[in-house]
Amino acid sequence: MRTWLLTAALAAIGTLAAQPQPAPLDPVLNAMRDEAMRSLDLALPGADKPYFVEYHVDDGETVRIQASYGGLVSRSRSPFRAYTVHVREGSYQFDTSNFLSRGSGVAGFNLTGFPLDPAYDAVRRYLWLSTDQAYKAAVDRLAQKRASMNRATASETLDDFAHATPLVEIAAPRRLQIDEDAWAERVRSLSGVASQYPEIQSSTITFWASAGAFYLVNTEGTEVRTPDSEAALRVWMVAQAPDGMRLRDGITFHAPDPAGLPSEAEMRLRIAAMAENAVGFTKAPKGVEYSGPVLFEGVAGAQILAEVLGHNFTLLRQPVVDQGVNFFAFGNELAGRRGSRILPEWMDAIDDPTATSWHGQTLAGSYPIDREGVAAKPVQLVEKGVLKDYLRTRQVIHGYSNSNGRAQLSNGMLGHTASISNLFVTASQTVPLAELRRKLMEICKERDKAYGIVVRRMDYPSVGTVEEATKLVQSGIGGGALPVSLPVGIFKLYADGHEEQVRGLMFRGLNAKSLKDIVAAGDDSAPFSFAYSAGLFALLDANSPSHPATVVAPSLLVDDLDLKPVEGDLPKLPLTPSPAVARR
Amino acid sequence: MTLFPPPMRRLALFGAVAMVAAAQQPAVLDTMVRELNRNFSALQEKAKPAPYFIGYEVTDLEQRSITASFGALADNSGSHSRLLDVSVRVGSPKLDNYHVENGDRGSFTSGRGVAVDDTPRALEMRLWGETDRVYRAAVDRLIRLQSNQQVKVAAEDQSDDFSTETPVVHASSPVKFHCDQAGWTGRLRPLSARFAKYPEVLTSTVGVSCRAETHYLATTEGTRLVHGRGYARVVIQAHARAEDGSDLSIDRYFDSGDESGLPGDDAIARAIDRAAADLVALLHAPETEPYTGPAILGGQAAGVFFHEIFGHRVEGERQKDESEGQTFAKSLGKSVLPEFLSVVFDPTRHRFGETELNGWYDYDSEGVPAQKVGVVERGILKGFLLSRSPIREFPHSNGHGRREPGREVYSRQSNLIVEADRTVPDAQLRRMLIDEIKKRGKPYGLFFREVQGGFTNTQRTSLQAFRVMPILVDRVYADGRPDELVRGANIVGTPLASFAGIAAAGDKPEVFNGYCGAASGWLPVSAISPALLVSEIEVEKKPQSKDRPPLLPAPVFHEVAK
Repeated sequence: MRTWLLTAALAAIGTLAAQPQPAPLDPVLNAMRDEAMRSLDLALPGADKPYFVEYHVDDGETVRIQASYGGLVSRSRSPFRAYTVHVREGSYQFDTSNFLSRGSGVAGFNLTGFPLDPAYDAVRRYLWLSTDQAYKAAVDRLAQKRASMNRATASETLDDFAHATPLVEIAAPRRLQIDEDAWAERVRSLSGVASQYPEIQSSTITFWASAGAFYLVNTEGTEVRTPDSEAALRVWMVAQAPDGMRLRDGITFHAPDPAGLPSEAEMRLRIAAMAENAVGFTKAPKGVEYSGPVLFEGVAGAQILAEVLGHNFTLLRQPVVDQGVNFFAFGNELAGRRGSRILPEWMDAIDDPTATSWHGQTLAGSYPIDREGVAAKPVQLVEKGVLKDYLRTRQVIHGYSNSNGRAQLSNGMLGHTASISNLFVTASQTVPLAELRRKLMEICKERDKAYGIVVRRMDYPSVGTVEEATKLVQSGIGGGALPVSLPVGIFKLYADGHEEQVRGLMFRGLNAKSLKDIVAAGDDSAPFSFAYSAGLFALLDANSPSHPATVVAPSLLVDDLDLKPVEGDLPKLPLTPSPAVARR
Repeated sequence: MTLFPPPMRRLALFGAVAMVAAAQQPAVLDTMVRELNRNFSALQEKAKPAPYFIGYEVTDLEQRSITASFGALADNSGSHSRLLDVSVRVGSPKLDNYHVENGDRGSFTSGRGVAVDDTPRALEMRLWGETDRVYRAAVDRLIRLQSNQQVKVAAEDQSDDFSTETPVVHASSPVKFHCDQAGWTGRLRPLSARFAKYPEVLTSTVGVSCRAETHYLATTEGTRLVHGRGYARVVIQAHARAEDGSDLSIDRYFDSGDESGLPGDDAIARAIDRAAADLVALLHAPETEPYTGPAILGGQAAGVFFHEIFGHRVEGERQKDESEGQTFAKSLGKSVLPEFLSVVFDPTRHRFGETELNGWYDYDSEGVPAQKVGVVERGILKGFLLSRSPIREFPHSNGHGRREPGREVYSRQSNLIVEADRTVPDAQLRRMLIDEIKKRGKPYGLFFREVQGGFTNTQRTSLQAFRVMPILVDRVYADGRPDELVRGANIVGTPLASFAGIAAAGDKPEVFNGYCGAASGWLPVSAISPALLVSEIEVEKKPQSKDRPPLLPAPVFHEVAK
């Protein structure tokens, strides 16, 4: 007890010296602090008291609007407040975390009714009961974990929980500023773009904007209230080629608030471009096997880096598993490769959550303090092509016992998974796009290839269904690593400069190693903002936890890639013509 | 019932209802009919097998839920949505893709969201996409059914899969949604704060929810229908945990068709105080012992009892489903209840005395007008609740085919009414209980004052049992001692045995308004019954919880709203 008091006092002194903090008058924070501190006295006979208690609250207001083919499907505006309680029993060396239990027998209390109002009493009451049941479950879990460890010998003993400097940072919550009626009309109008393309069979737009705050209080003395907001407009559409092959494509615009989204005119252009690509798909021939250089043009460059590199900057830790529980995770390709070259030596990668804009464009992955109360700082992940560091949370992993403030993604019982925020991938030598295309043709000519491949869009994050994603994985798994998402805007570029769109191709064996074969980069870096999740293809349909992130990257020319036709039965076409076609 | 739009009222009164469909039906119905005909014609032309029936239902749902806890607002959310259900039938009415096989009757519809404004293109595209998807799923299932038919033993009940009914053309005005947000948030905060006075209450909420449902139906048989109603409910919930770890809950409800019918603050406050007092009494009550003997089911308890053990078993479609227990299938014309009892299901009835009923509606989900059904007459089983899926001896629907959007239609309960043609005053019922206790040498009998809905398992593969979960149960002593509240009792038993023992009925029927969850989703229902004296009720203890009450004392309430 005495130790933490001292640390908290030092932390308080520390922050006072740096920046005068007003005494927190927030009833929610007060309730969180008072109940957390008291909870260190929880004790079941024969069990230890908790050594750490932490509360998270997310609150605010959300507006959600959905439209399709010019019609408003739904519109709502509601306040929200959600909370989680973390109780750790044991010690920093060995505690309840990093363990997958089959479940504890603790029956909870009925906890509907957590207040939206800033009501100290009501907030504290629900925290009291949640902590009580979390502590009882923690006692069970620790016993189960000890039993599971006795059953197997661990290959390496790592501490469970990294220490972190307590931090006090109270900032004002963000208020939702939005002209709801204007946005409803905007979303409705943009949803009408699909109406102009009869080949598109279905299309929906969803818009959401939320603003509020994230609160964190723990018994180490960390107290955080940080503004949190997000806005996004997501469009997806479905089209089918005459043989039944289906295209699903989507685009999402992300910004910290509605004002930061692109103008309606720009969004209209980008949606129309996606629709044109979809129409082109329906009229394109099927592609054939290809082995050679591929130009990832524009957003595709950022997409491929996001997908192939993004999650590999996070090292996973195998948890202890309870009897009857299975844990499986695909290996991390960059594990153990620190100090090795993973990109061309003229490329760097920096992850920086403190940046908020880049060349006047809004970034979506910015935050000051992560969800474990650790201040976020820039991390140089790759320097001159060499891997320098990984993204980390307070989970101790092999070789590292400190967080670098990357806990944004919840991973249920296993805490948080480290993730990228704003990832800047830069090249010290760049050429204009026209030169990249010329280089592509040059390589093809050397190898007697009639055409090279240009990819303009990948289905990442994927808007496919879970079923389709499973089929894709099954047909791609031979390559030794996970397949990447489907290229949905893919073109043959001929020596004379003309292009032909093709469809139905997938990459084989495109993984982190392939990035060493980046031949050249464009001078056209641009931000690609998206919903980052740890799931395969960042599949939206899987409803995994996600958060906005941005990758800033240029067009990339990559050599030695393989494309093969997508296999499998093709769905049938509708028997009745579309109303859009019938009415023409 | 207003007909839409007003100028047509005179014509409608003279019976020229067909005019409504032609000229001025709501825009959404217009779009539905156009797309219905377009898809049907195209499929007739190109599809093999072609469908013989297509039906569209769009449910317009507007709702809001406001809840407060201990003086603070806890929820204020609402939505306005339109949900689409598509029904496509291939084959023939004798055997189509909805044929029941081994408990499975196919699930095709999705209840997907469509535009809430009347934008034709938006609705057309969704109708088209869903019709195609549902048609393909229908053909898939029909093909599997046809090949199975050749292999399996024929079902006992060889009824058709789809009945013939008269198409309906009728348009009510869309239901108006009412919910005074500012008013309710202002009232619920101080009302919910009343629970703060009771330290035994761990958590509690007081809330209101309002809903307006308008249904639009169009079928290839010519049905063109707009109908609907509203629902409003005040909910009071409180929870506590006893020293032995038992979780205790009290839930109290007020139901109406509109927010204007909900109680004022005084009535809600009194209900809150009563709920808290009952919860505290339960906390201090001794635990029940296993018991078999005579009991009185209070009106509400009897209503729930009948809903669970009787109501589900007279849902028509269960009678021809081989995987079901089919308890009553062969009892038509036989005695299933004591001869002084009748059971009626009446979805045309809006009120019982002063109390509004949850289970009324004008048309069921297949567009069949709601009908009063006499299921038991003087103890004899006369009929079943029927949808358009016929059963042996009943070739037509009686307007009980119901579903929640996103589910397929199934025959379901409406307003269940237990009628006794001889009754005794409740005080006499109590004396009869005591006589019975003495006669059988039991130390006490039980009086079930209040129950929570139970659940029923009608499947053949599981025990033909039911459980009704009592909340307030008293021991009634033969020696003149005052009644004693006990807790932790569950009524168990097998249905046929329990029915035989209903000995007498009281003279003051009570209403239980609730929601019933089953095959076709959650539906509003009610159950009305007088108190019943039952000669044999079996009670078991609720399963014990190992959990302790909270380890730390409750944080003190600083502010208690006036």
